[in-house]
Amino acid sequence: MDEYAIGVLTNVGLLSFVALSAYLLLIAGELSFGQQAFFGVGAYAAGIGTAMLGWPLPAAAAAAMALGALAAFLVGVPTLRLRGLYFAMATLAAAEMLRILLELFHWRIEVGGETVGPDGTQGFRGIRWIFERGVEPLDFLAIVYALLALALIAFMLMERSRLGATLRAVGDDPELAGCVGIPVRKLKLGVVAASGALAALGGALFAHHNTYIEPRNFDVMLGVHSLAYALIGGLGTALGPLLGVALDIGLLEGTRFFQGYRMIVFGGLVAALLIWRPRGLLDERVVHWIRSRI
Amino acid sequence: MVALPAFAQKIEADVQCKPSGKNLIYDCTIRLTRGGEPLSGAQVTVGADMPSMPMAHNTRPVKARPGKNPGEYHARLDLEMQGEWAVKLRIAGPVRDQIIKKLDFD
Amino acid sequence: MQNTLDGIALGASYALLALGFTLIFGVLRRANLAYGPAIMLGAYAATWVSLNFHSGLLFLLLITLAVAMLAGVYVERLCFAPHRQGSAIAAMVASFAVWMQLEELATLLMPRHLYAFPPLYEGGPLSFGALSIRVELLVMLGAGAAICTGLWALLYRTRFGNAVRAVIDNPAAAGLSGINVSAISLRVFALASAIGGLTGFLIVSSQEQVTPMLGMWSTLKGMLAMMLGGLGSLPGAIAGGLALGLIEAHSQWVLGPQFRDFISYLLLFVLLTLRAPWMNTRSAY
Repeated sequence: MDEYAIGVLTNVGLLSFVALSAYLLLIAGELSFGQQAFFGVGAYAAGIGTAMLGWPLPAAAAAAMALGALAAFLVGVPTLRLRGLYFAMATLAAAEMLRILLELFHWRIEVGGETVGPDGTQGFRGIRWIFERGVEPLDFLAIVYALLALALIAFMLMERSRLGATLRAVGDDPELAGCVGIPVRKLKLGVVAASGALAALGGALFAHHNTYIEPRNFDVMLGVHSLAYALIGGLGTALGPLLGVALDIGLLEGTRFFQGYRMIVFGGLVAALLIWRPRGLLDERVVHWIRSRI
Repeated sequence: MVALPAFAQKIEADVQCKPSGKNLIYDCTIRLTRGGEPLSGAQVTVGADMPSMPMAHNTRPVKARPGKNPGEYHARLDLEMQGEWAVKLRIAGPVRDQIIKKLDFD
Repeated sequence: MQNTLDGIALGASYALLALGFTLIFGVLRRANLAYGPAIMLGAYAATWVSLNFHSGLLFLLLITLAVAMLAGVYVERLCFAPHRQGSAIAAMVASFAVWMQLEELATLLMPRHLYAFPPLYEGGPLSFGALSIRVELLVMLGAGAAICTGLWALLYRTRFGNAVRAVIDNPAAAGLSGINVSAISLRVFALASAIGGLTGFLIVSSQEQVTPMLGMWSTLKGMLAMMLGGLGSLPGAIAGGLALGLIEAHSQWVLGPQFRDFISYLLLFVLLTLRAPWMNTRSAY
């Protein structure tokens, strides 16, 4: 495989983590414009872990996930009282505040004779763990997809369990779910924290794939794209968000067939697709139909 | 900690790009040094990412040609729009590394 | 005092953006993310005409209005009409997809990072003692007042306005009483886009430049101002826009430019999570 193809596939994998985190919120009935913030928290935390504190990547990624979950939980506590567009705008406000704080975040230390660390709008360069350890691009691709597979298995198990059914019930009608004794608020806080951890894991891997991050990487474009990926792919299965990312990045970016007109073609396709399938390609009906055949 | 070899191997890059005359196509000159010495004979691929959504808006990387002077390489970048891009150098050969340079294209 | 004046100037443009947003939101109960990019496409088309044909300002204004309205109607038919009874999220994501289309169209037309736009007024600012007032500010305020008055007359003094208000109050009941909700929605989009186009024209001609950030900037500031003033309320949109402008001007003065946006997002976050009573946060949009 050539290096470019590996790069495109890695990007598909990395974006899938954020798209999955948006999907998890959507099936629980919440629309967030702020998942990019937790991707950013994960990227900065893991970068600090390996490049500044000398931690191995697995430890740094675990810490990034914990921090992402904590940040998402803290944002969730006041915002989950809000519904629909109000929740979306409150999460957007929180994410933009975090991005501006990252622009003001300077923490530079000497490591091995050179200065590394976040330098405000100048970004954070030199997150070179995978290069120092000689991790080849193909190996890193395998790591990304192994973690993605783990996340997907967790989703599949969850969706087949009682928890999955409960979650969709909460997403469909939170008042009704509350009336039949489901602890809606606790459940949603759990969902928010899990989605934060998932996005943070994607960010941790992104920081190491790119070796350089800056606050602008985590602006609202990333959050809205991940929302769009989840909805295009379909809300019936956790494979949906992956399909959404793969359609955008893999097909159009990878082939470069529509160079220069990519967004015009893709934007039109998405808008038309949503008229035909408002809950995405792999929506609940399709997934049910496929399940009944196998 | 045996971090010193990694430090000694660290590559420094200098990138200069100028408009080629054709719209949105730029000719870039890359100078690589390692420990102060010019680094020749490396395989350099040059790509560019937009600061917003770096995973989606990137240009197809091109292989850089070695230039006349030692440690010098040339590459031609075809961008989608003007503005700030993160130019990504992937280096293979004697040592594998990746260097990101922020450049303004106008 | 100078800050307050600058804030009012900024706030007037935010208020106009928020008015367009609120009209659309009121009628459809949907957020139109492509609102700003439609304005941007209008401004880009006018800039292109200006660079190639050196047309007068009035003609450029007409171009901006026409293209913004055309883009607005396109957005309504593709993203909102099909989802009127259906999913709000699908409509919003579709409008985001069209945002990407409009923005790429604009940058294909003119790929540079910055273009000059002919100035609205050639002379310098008027000065009253220590205060200086830019003529652009007066034009912006005058246009804002004129649009508000015109809109008020349209909504409260015409048959069309009655129908629009009926749809805003209760779309289902309005449909049952024989109002063509689809036609009203299309016209409201055209109207809101015209207001947006005019606002965009005033902004780029007083800043004398156009950048690709105009689309996202208009959407974000318009939504922020609309939210601050209370979702779906026209007087709220004006109050929210002016408040946002004043807050930005003063926080930039006191705390520096990096905190300007931070303060307005913080205020929105706090007001939303405290469920400020005028924000109507108990309803489930």
